[in-house]
Amino acid sequence: MSSVLFFIAATGVIAGAIGVVTLRSPFYSVLALVGHLISLAVLFLLLRAEFVAAIQVVVYAGAVMVLYVFVVAYVGDSGEPMGARLHGPGPLGSGLRKGGAVLAGCLLTELLIALLGTGLKAVSGYGAGYAPGPRTFGTAAYIGELLLTRFLLAFEVASMLLLIAAVGGVVLAARAGRPLAIGERRAGPGEPGEEVGAPLDLPRPPGTGTMAETVGGRS
Amino acid sequence: MSMGLPAVVGYYEPWWIQIIKAIVIFAVGLQLVPLVLIAERKLLGRFQARYGPNRVGPYGFLQPLADILKLLTKEQFRPTTSVGLLYALAPIISILTAVAAFGLIPFGDTQDIFGTKVGLYGVDLSIGPLYLFAFGAIAFYGIMLGGWSSGSKYSFLGAMRGAAQLISYEVSQGLALVGVVISAQTLSLTGIVHAQAGMWYVVPQLAGFLIFLVAGFAETNRAPFDLTEADAELVGGYNTEYGGGRFASYYFAEYLNVVVVSGIVATVFLGGWLLPFGLHPPGWVDPLVVLAKMSLVTFLFIWVRATLPRLRYDQLMSFGWKVLLPLATVNALVTAILVVATH
Repeated sequence: MSSVLFFIAATGVIAGAIGVVTLRSPFYSVLALVGHLISLAVLFLLLRAEFVAAIQVVVYAGAVMVLYVFVVAYVGDSGEPMGARLHGPGPLGSGLRKGGAVLAGCLLTELLIALLGTGLKAVSGYGAGYAPGPRTFGTAAYIGELLLTRFLLAFEVASMLLLIAAVGGVVLAARAGRPLAIGERRAGPGEPGEEVGAPLDLPRPPGTGTMAETVGGRS
Repeated sequence: MSMGLPAVVGYYEPWWIQIIKAIVIFAVGLQLVPLVLIAERKLLGRFQARYGPNRVGPYGFLQPLADILKLLTKEQFRPTTSVGLLYALAPIISILTAVAAFGLIPFGDTQDIFGTKVGLYGVDLSIGPLYLFAFGAIAFYGIMLGGWSSGSKYSFLGAMRGAAQLISYEVSQGLALVGVVISAQTLSLTGIVHAQAGMWYVVPQLAGFLIFLVAGFAETNRAPFDLTEADAELVGGYNTEYGGGRFASYYFAEYLNVVVVSGIVATVFLGGWLLPFGLHPPGWVDPLVVLAKMSLVTFLFIWVRATLPRLRYDQLMSFGWKVLLPLATVNALVTAILVVATH
């Protein structure tokens, strides 16, 4: 039973991952990623890590991917199929191809080191044994205890990093300036009112920003 | 309280009991939805000083049956601008996640039925509320894909509103439950019910209860947060382009979600199958107690819908982020401090 489930989930994981990089429309790529993440959660369940599986779905499929879907559906297709620059001629295309090959090689080496180092031992095993009880392997209590004792430093560093990222996001969003009203446009280069030194102040079509902007600048 | 033991029972049940339970749970859910439907239409009628449906069957009680038969016998059509596969898939996701969440609600403790130990719940997980939020997260794709794949502006706007609303209120809902989980010191839903033997959590966790209820209104897209399907502005929201059986699926999922949220409120805050004043009825009364508490919460849902006007979109957002979320955070924080201090 568990091996059947494993092969179904593993197929889903690999198909989803391939779909992310090969599908032409960004929307379908995001959906493939959602399928990939949910299949991954099933694999976690088979490893008796039910807490990690639930968190995987809640955080990745439920929060991160929701935002991706939201943005992709809102901004829409750019018209240019993804990967057009990669297959394109000229120095840009060849550079992207070379860089991609190098990065993929690095990732492959790293994964092989991890896999050969630990994974091969697990092939002949059956994972963690199932033990009943409130504080056994895989439960929330077990993971919480580990996070606050053995991995306390890593846990605190990760939370600080997230905090910094959140503050940074707010700062960057605030620098983008006042939202435009419908029909208004930003001042061009050299015109009065142009904001100098705002590299993230990218031009964007009106109505693609916040909801408040869409309803007429009311917030 | 015997911690952990109730959470484990589900693993040892024979496979045939689990199959029977799955069928029974789906059948019960299938019966509850028309009941909620007719209750809502009758009560809305009374709230608005009219009769409500009273033509089909005695007192109009067969009205939902007629509605569902009408929807199911309609032609299956789809707009030419829609995306075929996703258009068909979206209502299935909605209904699947609603039924999956329903399986979690405990209708009673483990019972001795003909010498076999059976838990009166679909499954009692050691990650109870997290499982619920996981399926709530997937339910989002039902609405989003439905609105997007319809290829219509109104559907898309409704789905977008639903997306933003779900993200905003899911956080407060989760944080409201954190207080209860800290107090009960278990994530198992039957464990949470057992922990309420002395006092239901609605009393010590009153703030959490109110936050969860308000966020529940928003999560199920009910008034006053029903902007997703605001019929005055969006025709019908994400399900504008749906008809027939697929529309019936969305409808079913929506009302089943109301039942699920009522069940969770009854379990987590109103003591599940426990009765006050030291009453200990025999085991077969437990499901009736849970159903009675659930119908009370559902009545509140309908009452609020009849009473409150729909919020404006920016009011919805600022209420969720600036009022509900800080309140839920403070609630979780204070509960944690109190639990640590009293231990």
